[in-house]
Amino acid sequence: MLDATQILQSLVNGMGVGLIYGLVGIGFCVIYNASGIVNFAQGVFVMLGGMFTHTLLTRLGIPIILAAAIAIPLVAAAGVVVEFLIVRPMWNRGATLFAIILATLATQIMIERITILTLGDQPRTLNEFTAGGPLRIGGLAISYQIFWILGCGALLVGLLWLFFGRTRTGRALRACSQNREAAALLGVPVGRMLMIAFALSAALGAVAGILVTPTQYTAFNVGTPFGVYGFIAAIIGGFGSAGGALAGGILLGIFQALAIVTLGAGFKNVAALSMLLVVLLVFPNGLFAGLKGLLAGRSRSADAR
Amino acid sequence: MISPAITSTRPRAAWTAALPVIAAGALIAYGLTSSGYIATVLGFAAIYGVFCTGLNFFMGYTGQASFGQNAFAALGGYGSAILTDRLGLEPVLAILASMSIAGIVALVVGYPTLRLRGHYLAMATFALGLITYEITIEWTSLTHGYMGYSGIPPLGLFGYELANEKQQLVALVVIALFGVWISNRLRNSRFGRALRAIAGSEAAAAALGINVARYKLAAFVIAALYASVAGSLFAHFIGFISPEVFGTAMVVLSFTMLYLGGIGTTWGPLVGALIASLIPEVLRSTLPGGLKEGQDIVYCAILILILIFVPKGLSSLGSLWQARRSAVREG
Repeated sequence: MLDATQILQSLVNGMGVGLIYGLVGIGFCVIYNASGIVNFAQGVFVMLGGMFTHTLLTRLGIPIILAAAIAIPLVAAAGVVVEFLIVRPMWNRGATLFAIILATLATQIMIERITILTLGDQPRTLNEFTAGGPLRIGGLAISYQIFWILGCGALLVGLLWLFFGRTRTGRALRACSQNREAAALLGVPVGRMLMIAFALSAALGAVAGILVTPTQYTAFNVGTPFGVYGFIAAIIGGFGSAGGALAGGILLGIFQALAIVTLGAGFKNVAALSMLLVVLLVFPNGLFAGLKGLLAGRSRSADAR
Repeated sequence: MISPAITSTRPRAAWTAALPVIAAGALIAYGLTSSGYIATVLGFAAIYGVFCTGLNFFMGYTGQASFGQNAFAALGGYGSAILTDRLGLEPVLAILASMSIAGIVALVVGYPTLRLRGHYLAMATFALGLITYEITIEWTSLTHGYMGYSGIPPLGLFGYELANEKQQLVALVVIALFGVWISNRLRNSRFGRALRAIAGSEAAAAALGINVARYKLAAFVIAALYASVAGSLFAHFIGFISPEVFGTAMVVLSFTMLYLGGIGTTWGPLVGALIASLIPEVLRSTLPGGLKEGQDIVYCAILILILIFVPKGLSSLGSLWQARRSAVREG
């Protein structure tokens, strides 16, 4: 049965991977808040981040930090291309939510297939950013990469907080999320905000992809799971709240790590998807809002859907 | 207006009813006279036609969205494979048994899921497809995992097997036509009109006394039954299935077909399936790289272009033209 070390170990591992899910989840929220669009191709940015970095690293032989620094803007540019070629024309024509979701899903498959044709279908991985490790504390084994994930993740969250709170663009994005019409009347270029949102969320996905690749692998098809996990993280957090998505991601990561220890690695996805269905059906406003509602003695889940 | 009829009572003009049958007959004749390969391509089209006709119930008539119908196709396909291989069941019985399993699963899963709306519904149904995909990979003792299931017997009844692709093609086209016939009869029935009322406005439909949740669920179950049959037919027609067959690409492909043929129309799904199946054959010589990948890219590109420029499907182009013409005539 489980002992304390195993539980601690899964907590640590779950935190690391959960932070990644949280970053992807924030990516969902950034686009959703700016436009009300849900981008099902979010996971593709995670995949592209890892793949671009690996390609730059092996083809040009540059240091990993430099490769990552080049890959992130490239992926952000890919996000802008998706926005400009696919999402914007539909948005301007007043396409339905389902049509846009379907188009982004098709985009994801299209980018995956193009990746197979150009970069190949073999899985690949990156070296850990800091060689050596894992760090051993008692029975725990903590890989150095987890410190990188936690450090970069915390840094990124801090930067996002500053961006949304202190900069003009960040505030304009928040204005869009509260009321697009009013924001447009006040002179916020709503169309450009959508583009910025896609660039930002693609960059977030790329960072997540680069950070997580050393701990597992990357291939053309890792996008779907990361996209779905990020979506679940966003849903747990109440869809739209960046902090909620981050917390939701960490919760999901830990839950998944515990499921791997108790049920086996094969059930990692089943556990996550079941968590999605449970949260959707029981707490449609997000786990935290739902629990708050329960604590306050009134379940709003019935009518607020 | 009281309409007690369960199915449509509206008489149809004789020639329009005969037209699709003639077209289907011509297709069968073409399939029978050309190579076995063409027969296989047309067989695929018929199978996808069944799948899309079911999806059309839920998406076209009822105006809902399911991104996870591949789950039920997988249930049908694996149900057929396992029942015929392990239990030695007749293919037809295996299809019916898989159908009932898929129907029950759709009922149980759909009841809570269909209360969701918007992107929640989209992701919940998408998750259904993903869960099924994971299970078919992980439950190797039952499904053979990544390797797939081979040696599935062809369609047949009471020991008599349809030996080659051409005989099977005839059976598949007949089944597809039967599926479209059901869809056609239900479309203008009380049931079909209720579904279309829901597509128009849920609140208005509810105000008219339509039990929205129950009708949505019924449409979802019908779609699942069609998907299950399509999955079973695929298994018997090809003799091999793998998790990849029922993966996410299937979702996009079926949507491409639905939008190509015209979403919400009776014949659209079948026509769209036929056009989409013939596209790779036409482009075969010009496609870049691996055929499978190039094919998927083309499908995705077509779907995205349709979604941007003609969101009601290509068949709406005709009605646009008609509307303009009648406007000219009246004005």
